[in-house]
Amino acid sequence: MSNQRLIVKFGGESGQGINTLGQILSKSIKESGLCNFAYREYPSLIKGGVASYQIDIAQEEIASSSRTCDILSVLDIDAIHEYFPSVSPNGVIIYNKEELNLSQEEKDYIEKNNISLISLDTVKMALEVEGIEIMANMVILGFIWKLLELDTKPLEEIVRETFKDKNIDLGAEIRCVRAGYNSEQIKKEILKPLTFKSSKKWKDSLNITGNEAISLGAISAGCRALYAYPMTPATSILKYLGDTYKETGILIKQAENEITAAQLSMGSMNMGTRAMTVTSGGGFDLMCETISCAGISETPLIIVLAQRAGAGTGLPTWTGAGDISLAVHGGHGAFSRCVLSVSDPQDAYTLTQEAFNIAETYQIPVILLTDKQIAESIFNIKELPKPTMIERGITTGENRYEITDSGISPRWIPSADSPTYLQNSDEHKITGESTEQSNEVVEMSDKRLRKTETLREQIPDPLYFGNKNPEIVFVGYGSVGNTIRDILKDNSHIGYLHYQYIYPLKYERLIEFHEEGARVVIVENNQTGDFAKLIKQESGFEIPERILKYDGRPLFIEDILDFLHN
Amino acid sequence: MPIPITQYNKEVKPTWCMGCGNYAIHIAIKKALGELEITPNQAFVTFDIGCSGNGADKINVNAFKGLHGRSIPLAIGSHLANRKMTVLATIGDGGCLHEGLDHLIHAIRSNYNITILIHNNQNFALTTGQATATTPEGKKMYGLPDGRPEREMSIGEIVFSSKPSFFARGYSGDPLQLTEILKEAILHKGCSVIEIMQICPTYNKESSLEWFAQRIEKLDKPLSTINKAKEIISMHEKIKTGIIYTDKSIPTFYDRLENRKGLGTELVDEVKQYDISKLLEDFK
Repeated sequence: MSNQRLIVKFGGESGQGINTLGQILSKSIKESGLCNFAYREYPSLIKGGVASYQIDIAQEEIASSSRTCDILSVLDIDAIHEYFPSVSPNGVIIYNKEELNLSQEEKDYIEKNNISLISLDTVKMALEVEGIEIMANMVILGFIWKLLELDTKPLEEIVRETFKDKNIDLGAEIRCVRAGYNSEQIKKEILKPLTFKSSKKWKDSLNITGNEAISLGAISAGCRALYAYPMTPATSILKYLGDTYKETGILIKQAENEITAAQLSMGSMNMGTRAMTVTSGGGFDLMCETISCAGISETPLIIVLAQRAGAGTGLPTWTGAGDISLAVHGGHGAFSRCVLSVSDPQDAYTLTQEAFNIAETYQIPVILLTDKQIAESIFNIKELPKPTMIERGITTGENRYEITDSGISPRWIPSADSPTYLQNSDEHKITGESTEQSNEVVEMSDKRLRKTETLREQIPDPLYFGNKNPEIVFVGYGSVGNTIRDILKDNSHIGYLHYQYIYPLKYERLIEFHEEGARVVIVENNQTGDFAKLIKQESGFEIPERILKYDGRPLFIEDILDFLHN
Repeated sequence: MPIPITQYNKEVKPTWCMGCGNYAIHIAIKKALGELEITPNQAFVTFDIGCSGNGADKINVNAFKGLHGRSIPLAIGSHLANRKMTVLATIGDGGCLHEGLDHLIHAIRSNYNITILIHNNQNFALTTGQATATTPEGKKMYGLPDGRPEREMSIGEIVFSSKPSFFARGYSGDPLQLTEILKEAILHKGCSVIEIMQICPTYNKESSLEWFAQRIEKLDKPLSTINKAKEIISMHEKIKTGIIYTDKSIPTFYDRLENRKGLGTELVDEVKQYDISKLLEDFK
């Protein structure tokens, strides 16, 4: 059965309280027993510019955004001009009392699509019920809630909870919500009643972002230190682990730069605790020398690479997945590594724990990819998976860099009870002492790289969703996967091959689909199809068709539907 | 009972030049650890790149030879994970003042309980004698036939601008004094910085044993205030050695971490599965 959506979007200037509006609506929808996915767009500045929060609401699980919305609420007139083309036919635009100054094109669009324009003097309405100016946003929430024809109780509960510690007149906030809800401007023809069946499973679900799930995965895995330099969209991991550090005891250090953050992490991991660092592309560039050092010295290292769009500073607050080549190839010289990619809170939680196990067991750098769409969007999920058992691969042995068939040498934690050893980024002998002898160099280099093959045998195949005999197989990783999975039910002829383990790469299943006659299509949030390039590099197979999106926006469901319909 | 210096020896052939200051510096490190009864596996030493870094496999301690300029953050990460380990970071003047100057300043500012040994031989020696920030202005160096066109930097002035809790200057020509400095630096609770004036007989012939002998003046005790200490750190006429300044009142980074107070364990003792169910309540 089709999983229809109803979509509410808030638009306005950065700093007008868009985030609070979005978060309250998302939580209140969940409390009402419906699933929602909340996606945030914002410019890289503190005040001004155009920002938005979009809540896609559905009866069954969704984890992606639409290109369109049914209700657009704008706090600033500029946002109308920005977002009006996304309003669906028969949609509603709510704006404040200002003059609209619509262009002819805008007027035509609105008329053609039967869009209702509602002018609401929210400040006046707030003042009339003895609220204050900043409570005008609560009037909007109440108004939208009425349009959806939902019971006000969950909304009022969430409003109270949101502001309870903020020294604000809660009674006035609620009066403002009700003023919006009972507005005379509500007319039958603009109602957008949510007819989806409410369910306890969504009421009891978790309202959680991808970065929060990565943080929880790190806590669960016994990560005891976070070293980081702020960089969007990784920074909210620093915030969550900082905000909970009293409960967890985790050591938080905001380092002077990403080079330091990576070195601190490597030092702590080598000493025998679990630590990690988080960054985005630019910061990751600076960490590449440390990745290479961890590679040759066989030191566990975990880096979360939260991707955003563009080279250089690019689009700092927008999504993208263009750093896969950097993750797989960053750092000089040859060494084993592992690259994982999360897509939603569930696998973010599990893969973070896996990342620690792999880094320690294989003594390699592990890069955990995410992107802004996963990192900062709010997902509704029923629960997180069970925790992953900790595996550290700590043993005793005679030589730190013993040559073995698996490539994995004994590693033990430096302590007063253990023999000393040298962890060496110079090429070294089995004892750790530096060497430049030809045969020793080759033997040690081969040993190190054997770990890639050992790991490849251990990691699972990519996940497959959808039709067993598909006409079309989409291939992807990260947030694009959520979008594709969300449309599978309504498109029974397609399938989706989802990669969580990017490197080492397992490609057998992919080739099988191709050989069985399915159309194979790569879907990536980048300009150059870097994952397709990696697949070709590893397997020789060139994926014939590709959908590439690199405008900083996530893959909307319409992006895939348009492809299917054309 | 002091641990004999031989316990820290390794049977690896030295690769330094005859007369290199690193021999004496290594003797001082081994002697200081031994006299403080810190066993080889209770010490953790990070090594940089360069002639000082080539000492990594010539001393029996827990060690990590990392990257150029990075021995300080590598040491800090090691220290924060297990404060029971005595952590030393060794680095040359090149790595410290060029590739890794930010690390030095922030390590002093944060006051981690580690000891930093800056081997100052006034050049990049392993790459055959390029100028570093401590090479005198105008001196002819590799690739600079008309002399170095910039002013030089003073390690002491940089350290004092960051308000250190411990600063000393040693000399590779006096390993016994350096041993005493190292012992005090290791015992000092905070970030101890030692600038070691190091003989480089191959690429810095001007700063010879005789040259140092004419200039070095040993201090009996540290200066009583930071301002008095700043006044004597210049090396234009005399080179003062010994412990120049200490301030025991500055808390260490770790001691200021509110959420680690009262915990009797180190981060290395705490790796286990943590139950997140209480935290999950906030997402419901």
